[in-house]
Amino acid sequence: MLATIILLIIATAAAFYMAWNIGANDVANSMATAVGGKAISLKQAVIIAGILEMTGAVLLGSHVTKTVGKGIVDLQAVGDPNKVIIGMLAALIAAAIGVTLSTWKSMPVSTSHFIVGAVMGFGLISGGISAVDWVVMGKIALSWVISPLAGLFLAYIVFKIISYFVLSSDDPVKSAVRGSPVYVGATFLVISLSLLLKTSLGDKLGLSGKTGLAILISVIVGLFFGIIGYYLVLRASRSWGKEKDRYVSVERIFRKLQIMTSCYVAFAHGSNDVANAIGPLATVFQTIQTGSVVGQTTVPWQLLALGGFGISVGVFTWGYKVIKTIGFKITELTNTRGYSIDFSVATTVLVFSKLGMPISTTHTVVGAVVGVGLARGLGAVDLTVLKNIIISWAITIPLAVALSISLYMGMAYFLL
Amino acid sequence: MKPAIESVMRKSPFDGLIEHAAKVSECVDSLDSALHAFSSGDMENFATMKRKVENLENEADRIKANVRNHLPKSIWMPVDRGFFLMTLSEQDSILDYAEDAVIWIDLRGKPLPPELRSEFERLQNVVNATVHEYEKAVNNLKHVLETSFSEKERAETKEYIHNVHRLEHDSDIVERELTKKIFSMEGKIGPVDIWHLTHLVSILGDVANHAENAADRIRAMIAK
Repeated sequence: MLATIILLIIATAAAFYMAWNIGANDVANSMATAVGGKAISLKQAVIIAGILEMTGAVLLGSHVTKTVGKGIVDLQAVGDPNKVIIGMLAALIAAAIGVTLSTWKSMPVSTSHFIVGAVMGFGLISGGISAVDWVVMGKIALSWVISPLAGLFLAYIVFKIISYFVLSSDDPVKSAVRGSPVYVGATFLVISLSLLLKTSLGDKLGLSGKTGLAILISVIVGLFFGIIGYYLVLRASRSWGKEKDRYVSVERIFRKLQIMTSCYVAFAHGSNDVANAIGPLATVFQTIQTGSVVGQTTVPWQLLALGGFGISVGVFTWGYKVIKTIGFKITELTNTRGYSIDFSVATTVLVFSKLGMPISTTHTVVGAVVGVGLARGLGAVDLTVLKNIIISWAITIPLAVALSISLYMGMAYFLL
Repeated sequence: MKPAIESVMRKSPFDGLIEHAAKVSECVDSLDSALHAFSSGDMENFATMKRKVENLENEADRIKANVRNHLPKSIWMPVDRGFFLMTLSEQDSILDYAEDAVIWIDLRGKPLPPELRSEFERLQNVVNATVHEYEKAVNNLKHVLETSFSEKERAETKEYIHNVHRLEHDSDIVERELTKKIFSMEGKIGPVDIWHLTHLVSILGDVANHAENAADRIRAMIAK
């Protein structure tokens, strides 16, 4: 009994540390565009990230959490509940060590990739090759390739739309104001759809199976916020004096819109990345609670909240420094570009969260920046970064597997 | 290794190009002052302005090297990098000829014969105007990029380029008239003076020629 409590405490601590790390290091990559574009101040970035990472984690974090905690390894094939507990603990600690090392040496390593590799490592050592669900692993691997490309493609389209309808129009300021309900409404439509379609929240509202109704509600939500957004933008743009350079006014409008997309990015990031900390913990928790290997059960929201809280603490205690550093360095991004990137990244990450796929937000951001660049929106983009993404996969997975296997063997030797 | 976000976003090389063009403009203004001093016989002031031209040429060289060094093959640009680098190079030639002109005057160290003054100032003005019109074309690249190559902003840039052509053509005419006038003074001034002055006129014409060449490279760069 005492041993189990100690294991639980260690697992919780490791998971909290992982969540802290995500808040401390990863959040910056998604918030820096808005800070760099002066859409939000550093203080606002910290508050937005603190609240919306948590919200995203609690409302939509369960899909990816299930994949990490129960999808990658067939727990029934492992069989022994003790092995499951030790294995998930080993994976968590391995990921925590790996993430710390990579931060220290500033390697381009994603927490998502690390935890997936570590969990897979535990599956391989405890139940052999057949204990790993290779279909799920295949899907995850595919999602790692698709997510940066999806970010690229979406950002390319979004920026092309803005450049065609706003920047190239005869009166760009007027066009930007006129288009604002679309830019705001689209965001709320996607968020609403993600919250209502096939979620426990949707079920509670009596929407299970009623896809059409959920879509209708989302459209109404999108329209509603679109209209509100329009009036806010209109009022703001009227209060500004006429700028000599008309594009300055256009950028100012998108600066307002970027406040919204930075919230959207934080929400999406929380919904995907909380799993990196809470996925293994949820499995440890439920295995201890039931005393047997559990199947596909729902993830308690309290655990997701713990993860979200950990991320927020990470942002408050350390992440703000990283946001500041990166934000100062990416001032090249004007707000039309920043909006295109933020919207595309958040939408991509949110869709993958719904699909239960643990992806790297950072790689998606990189893809989106390249997308805006290819749409002739930036003076220069360095394409070597795409090579670095592939290198990061090649480094992370073997390292995570090896670290997790050695920790598992060490712990199994003493505890089993 | 730098964070991925930082390494994908590079400083825009166009900022460097525009910064370099501002130096070109400033340098050509100093050339103008130097030429005024030369034509009004104030060789002391000429020496001061000559040093200014040389210093600005140096500063511009540093900007040029910096832009070039930060453009490895892996960088993706919204325009053809060949045309971009050619623009920078032609823009730099404007400075080289401006510097050549002041050095050439300095080598002989004699002020302009007063009879030539009014024609000479005409040439000076039209060369200066050509370069300044060129600078407008470069500066408008900011808007061309901001709008991701909108028809309107490209048209505005092409308008400036068109003006550069017109001004350069004017400079050719003034150049010929001035050369004719210099030759007509045979006997009043020595043969070496004639040779020195006609060559100076040709160097000043080259300042405008290279502004025109640079403008043509910009047109090629922003062509669809």
